[in-house]
Amino acid sequence: MTTYQFLITAWKWNSVLLILCAMVLAGYFLAFQRRGRPGYLGAALAIFLFALISPVSALAEGYLFSAHMIQHILLVLIVPAFLLLSLPRSFSLPRPLTAFTHPFIGWIAGVGAMWLWHAPALCNAATTSRTVFAIQTTSLVLMGSVFWWQVLAPRDANRLSPAAGIVYLFTACTACSLLGIILTFAPVSICSVYQHPADRLGILGTIRNDWGLTSDKDQQIGGLLMWVPMCLIYLTAILAQLARWHSDPVPQTEESNA
Amino acid sequence: MNGTTATVTPATLLDPAEHWHHRLAWLSTVDHKRIAVLYLLTGLFFFVVGGLEALFIRLQLAVPNNHFLQPDTFNQLFTMHGTTMIFLVIMPLSFGLVNYLLPLQIGARDMAFPRLNALGFWLVPFGGILLHFSILTGGAPAVGWFSYAPLSETPYSSTPGVDYWAIALLVLGIGSVGFAINTIATVLSRRAPGMTMRRLPLFTWINFVNAFMIILAIPVLNAGLAMLLIDRQLEGHFFLPAHGGSAVLWQHIFWAFGHPEVYIIVLPAFGVISELIPVFSRKPIFGYEFVAASSVAIAILSMSVWGHHMFTVGMGRAANSFFAIASLLIAIPTGVKVLNWTATMFGGRIRFAVPMLFCIAFLVQFLLAGITGISHAVVPLDWQTKNSYYLIAHFHFVAVGAILFALLAAVQFWFPKMSGRMLSERLGKWTFWLMVIGFNMTFIIQHFLGLLGMPRRVFTYPDLPHWAWMNMLSTVGVFFMSASSLILLWNIVVSFFRGKIAGDNPWNAWTLEWATTSPPPHENFHALPPIRSRRPLWDYGNPDRPDPIVGKDTSEIESPDKSKVSILSFIVSEAAFFTVLLLAYLYFYAHPQPGPGPRELNVPRTLIFSLCLFASSFTIWRSEISLSKQRRSSMLGWLALTIALGGVFLVGQGLEYWKLFQTGVDVSTNLFATTFFTLTGFHGLHVFLGLVALLILLWVAWQGDFASGRGSTLAAAGYYWHFVDIVWVFVLLTVYILPLIR
Repeated sequence: MTTYQFLITAWKWNSVLLILCAMVLAGYFLAFQRRGRPGYLGAALAIFLFALISPVSALAEGYLFSAHMIQHILLVLIVPAFLLLSLPRSFSLPRPLTAFTHPFIGWIAGVGAMWLWHAPALCNAATTSRTVFAIQTTSLVLMGSVFWWQVLAPRDANRLSPAAGIVYLFTACTACSLLGIILTFAPVSICSVYQHPADRLGILGTIRNDWGLTSDKDQQIGGLLMWVPMCLIYLTAILAQLARWHSDPVPQTEESNA
Repeated sequence: MNGTTATVTPATLLDPAEHWHHRLAWLSTVDHKRIAVLYLLTGLFFFVVGGLEALFIRLQLAVPNNHFLQPDTFNQLFTMHGTTMIFLVIMPLSFGLVNYLLPLQIGARDMAFPRLNALGFWLVPFGGILLHFSILTGGAPAVGWFSYAPLSETPYSSTPGVDYWAIALLVLGIGSVGFAINTIATVLSRRAPGMTMRRLPLFTWINFVNAFMIILAIPVLNAGLAMLLIDRQLEGHFFLPAHGGSAVLWQHIFWAFGHPEVYIIVLPAFGVISELIPVFSRKPIFGYEFVAASSVAIAILSMSVWGHHMFTVGMGRAANSFFAIASLLIAIPTGVKVLNWTATMFGGRIRFAVPMLFCIAFLVQFLLAGITGISHAVVPLDWQTKNSYYLIAHFHFVAVGAILFALLAAVQFWFPKMSGRMLSERLGKWTFWLMVIGFNMTFIIQHFLGLLGMPRRVFTYPDLPHWAWMNMLSTVGVFFMSASSLILLWNIVVSFFRGKIAGDNPWNAWTLEWATTSPPPHENFHALPPIRSRRPLWDYGNPDRPDPIVGKDTSEIESPDKSKVSILSFIVSEAAFFTVLLLAYLYFYAHPQPGPGPRELNVPRTLIFSLCLFASSFTIWRSEISLSKQRRSSMLGWLALTIALGGVFLVGQGLEYWKLFQTGVDVSTNLFATTFFTLTGFHGLHVFLGLVALLILLWVAWQGDFASGRGSTLAAAGYYWHFVDIVWVFVLLTVYILPLIR
């Protein structure tokens, strides 16, 4: 199969996901009517679907660790961020869920989502079993939401102060960069499934020859994706914190230190 | 503000009261202003040393096939020149400026920790002497300022030059970290009422950000230096490929420090420019927030792009591409800054005094430096020009054209504040023009030499077409720069004694250092103007049209406890140190060597002793609670128990070491042993130092000197102790548990 054919044909129809998205959309408008910011919700759902039914997803299913990493980053960092942004300003969490709003829990959730699912056993299981993959996807979006809540909660009072937010984001960035560095330089395969893919789509030759992606190089790219571009996402958030700090007319607690 | 009031105390070296012990007054000082002057003078002294080294290098290269210097002497000269200029000139000069100005700019009386400040300074001459002492031991280091392994290892550099180099850099690095911790604590907890974080002058803000880079980046170098010394002194194998070590690992460690280091030395220059351009354009800075925020962006980006120094090492196309893109991105925040500075000048009433001339030259030279810098982010171009004179030209445009010019602007600008007298503008213009002409004559041509293929670090070159006159031109330029430097030194000496009296605020500037006398009294300020914006002196002098109030109209500020702030900063830097050691352990764990491995370790016994260490975190917490409840004996008991538990843990580690030594395993056995002993040894050392600190606390508490107001000291010691325990969690998981689950 050529690259072009692959990009055309590798889109999957997934009724469960589409129904889920439709329900979220309906629920959103029922709950918030016009108070929300549906643009962000649309972006969240579109990226969510892109991560799970596009060719990226096909490649992540056993072919390329780097594609899995793109999927991972989208699900844990981008989709939850847009989801939180779509909530109306007046939104506050139902009482039982406020247990998850401690910054420490948020940090552990965000960093844990990166480290935990790259333990070799879990990474392999998520690639081979549909059930584990579903659990993984759900947990990534949830843990990402818990992480971003500290920074992007709809009410300003629920967010960290800008300085604390910068420390929160920078330390998370460092923790994830460390994992990226380890993945980049690891001489052994972290997710051994990707070393010898079962060639269901007949695309392996294209990947190895036309794209020039050996399994070593593939893992290196995966690690680099976590190391460099992911850091840029955190950096963007840090700059947003600085902007908020410099623009905010309401009194803020000014600094904390790490 | 009326800038030239006549109430100026003329510059004197000593207060009258100090004359009777005048020899000690400067040696034993803990006053930030005097320490700053010592920093600056030390930096100037080594500037002469490093400049002479450069002069000899250029004399050797003036003509082709020259034998003025021996090849080995040439290698020593360029190594010492690079090391001196970065660690003994630019860093001390920047630290001196910060030391002098930062407390004044925030209306503080001194740095948060004056004695730590003095220690930080005295480590600079100590490090400088150590580095140069190597000359007496068989030759200075001759391995380049980045000291690539395995050239820096014993088989290839058998004289102690590299050892002195490494120890000197460790000493200087420790001083820098101390200085940075002090800076962070000073900014956070020593600001005057009204000086909120959003109202900080840009020089202070940028150096505050820089302090975080220092505490994160310098420990990475320290870890690498420790490994190099273990290789050289204890026959370890970290960077020796012949024994399974990795020479590329040294490059990663060095550049993980080295790239942030570039910004550590350039950010203070940015701070200077951001202060001076508004003053000489008679306008507030354009886009304060952007200058402030882009510094943070630069700091963070610079820590993840070190790979662009290693394009030619063979990291692979994937890694090269990522680092190329990330490196190109740094151009954005830097470009934002240049835009802000230029826009500040736009439409301003520009005064072309000497400091401003240097600022304008800075802008032009830094732009060129940035353009060649970006060209190095492009991998194919980098492959062609790396290790050629093109690279030399690029980084000298950064180090001289940007950093040195900014420092010269700063000297001209702030000398009146420090001495009470103006530097001569006439001599200053001579310095400026000779420097600009000489600098460009020396280095512009080197771009072309590099593109023609002239390699760096080779002691001479053949008589190829054009090479001779280009090199000669470059050497002639150095004489212009030397003349300029001599005039500067002359200017400083003459003006110190005979310069025009400056007055409080000779430049009509707006930040707080100009609100006091020149030089400031020992306690810095008798009274402060109200601080509501970023230009308090403008507001004070123009009450009819003050700057808009920044943030909430309040003079209340938060001042976190300086002990906690400093110990947390220290922990961050220690975390960086241990992270490097852990990553090195993991790296070699993944490449197993023949010989002993993790299976030699006694896991159950270590787990039991680890429980003691973890329990001690609990006991020190109980001790803090007892202190807060004023129960002295219970607090003493818990503290003593903490020390006992820590001691038991060390005994356990001793047992582990003893068993390994019994079976003939020591640091030099193989890479597992090297990494194991390094990682656990440094942790053990930290436990030991923690125990010493706790014993001192116990003694102080026993003496009853702990009654009130000292709670934060115990809390700070507690933070450190918890940190040591958390490090052990990671060491335990990596060294003992990981082999079990594989």
